[in-house]
Amino acid sequence: MTASVDETTRRGPIAETLPEDYFTYVPGVGNIPRDIYKHVKSNPYGDLPRYSAHIVLQHILIFTTFITLAATGIPLHYANLFWAPYVISLFGGIDNAQLIHRSAAFVMIGACVYHVLTIVGSTVLKIIKKEFDIRRTQVPMPKDLFDLIHDVKYFLGIEPFRPKMEKFMYKQKLHYLAILWGSFVLIFAGTALLYPEKIVLLWPFDPSFIQDLARIMHADEAILALIIIAFWHLSNVHIVPGRYPAQWTVFTGRITREHQIEEHFLEYLRNLEEIPEEREYMRSLLSELGYAEKEGGPE
Amino acid sequence: MKRRYLLWVMLSLFILGMALSGYSKAEAADQENCLMCHKYPDLARIGSDGHVKNYYINEHIFLNSLHGQVACRRCHTYIKKFPHDPVTQKVYCGNVCHIKPPFAEENFSHRKIISVFESSIHAIKPGDSALMKKSDPDCKYCHLNPLYKQVETIDYGKTLDRCLNCHQRKGVTQAYHHIMHRLRHKTSRSSQQIVALCGGCHGNVPLMKKLGLPERALTAVNTYEESIHGKMVTLGSEKAADCISCHASSLLHDIYKPDNPKSSINEKNLLTTCKNCHKKINKYFVKIAVHPSLEDPHNPFLFVLNNFLLRLILYGTVFGLMGLLFMETYRRKKDGANMKLKSGTSWRKKKK
Repeated sequence: MTASVDETTRRGPIAETLPEDYFTYVPGVGNIPRDIYKHVKSNPYGDLPRYSAHIVLQHILIFTTFITLAATGIPLHYANLFWAPYVISLFGGIDNAQLIHRSAAFVMIGACVYHVLTIVGSTVLKIIKKEFDIRRTQVPMPKDLFDLIHDVKYFLGIEPFRPKMEKFMYKQKLHYLAILWGSFVLIFAGTALLYPEKIVLLWPFDPSFIQDLARIMHADEAILALIIIAFWHLSNVHIVPGRYPAQWTVFTGRITREHQIEEHFLEYLRNLEEIPEEREYMRSLLSELGYAEKEGGPE
Repeated sequence: MKRRYLLWVMLSLFILGMALSGYSKAEAADQENCLMCHKYPDLARIGSDGHVKNYYINEHIFLNSLHGQVACRRCHTYIKKFPHDPVTQKVYCGNVCHIKPPFAEENFSHRKIISVFESSIHAIKPGDSALMKKSDPDCKYCHLNPLYKQVETIDYGKTLDRCLNCHQRKGVTQAYHHIMHRLRHKTSRSSQQIVALCGGCHGNVPLMKKLGLPERALTAVNTYEESIHGKMVTLGSEKAADCISCHASSLLHDIYKPDNPKSSINEKNLLTTCKNCHKKINKYFVKIAVHPSLEDPHNPFLFVLNNFLLRLILYGTVFGLMGLLFMETYRRKKDGANMKLKSGTSWRKKKK
């Protein structure tokens, strides 16, 4: 069965000719059209699993300490600006703020270690159970680059649909890599600032160089992270259409159905395999919309 | 109007506080009745330079100051008759006072610290230019006969009462004030005030250039304010180093050029000086620049990194990602996405 005439007119002139991979055949469910996310029902608190409780807890630890670190660190970097003393006075003076900054830093490092342990542990478990699939991880793949190009084409109106992406799309992988690099730089530079007499032994030829490098990198990386989080990350997860005014994934660890299908279609297909209820839901939705299952895919 | 009202409230609170505090015990410092004239607040004249000079002495403030117990003529020694002639001489702080400190053999004098000061870089030296002689600070440039301040955490009255069990009120009160004042902080000025005091002259780059100071001294105030010490002090830290924490020993007046072996910032003395605050340090630590310039670092790699590479990365990342986000939002909205996820979906349903 092809897309009916009213289906084509409904989508407008862009999609007059449907791409070859418009339908995805899932055994036991049927032919799923790429833009099915416009028709599914979603629970704002999330329908499908995305993050484990560990990851949610780590995220909470990281963002609380991040806010504390930024609030105590940024005024110090901009000490000459008029607002800096007011922010510092919230923490009971700069000497207290310094102590809070260092304590928060140690909590954040602890959260990072906790994260690494979780990731390594669960990966080892999956490998033992033979469930490990590198495509469901944060490891960057060539496909991500093609997805990015495809997505930009979609934004420009050249492609009618978004690419079919994995659990972590190019945005998330980019952000994750940036956080890896950023935490490495911030932790290393912060250690150099806190223990100058120890770090100096790594490069004893020019002690000023390593200290100035640490000062430049610590401040720059922090400002970059703050700007990216405040403008890009928060907009992406809470302000863009469909997510406004807040997305609950951050606390529930679950993603809405329409979001999963739109941005993580391949992960949704795995959800269909793993969750019988989801399979049932999709089958009834498809028959409701008139895409009844036929053997052997479309036509 | 509102501001004036506030001023009055603060003023009356201040007066009330002064009255209740019991600091203003009028002791007889004015033995020779100088206040007969100097008690009038409008006792002033216009000097030859056109500035109004006020000669008013507030008795209550003066009595609670460091020199509150010193009679006027002990310092103003040139006054021989009453009413006195126009004053042309300056007060010389090295006079021997007629005050004998407790447990001391000799009368008190500032001579000892003045001799330290006179060996320092700030003293007038024979070969100095006229401008340098004029610019060098004298005692009064820094020392303003401040009010006594107390340690906030100690119950002043209770502790003093204990002293009075054995000692006479007058002498021990004075000594107690004196010691408490010193206990408060290494100087009676806060670190911020020290930086402002030194920066008053050393931040004046054209003047410093005229005085022939070396290149590194010209940027010292700016680079200090860029450093972690400077930033901490700007935000009110009492722990971070100010100018004299490093440039003088506990004598506070022994400020020398770094090549002088007596200088606290001489290469040989750096380890001792830094150890005042940084307990666990090594010989490499003292080579870290205390006055670093991040705008113009000593290392070309840091210069390129700070001024070009990091800015490129910052602007590139921020504008690139935000651009992508705006494009995505525009297209998704055009494709039919609503802002809110309402009744199960955020996608607009076209009428069938």
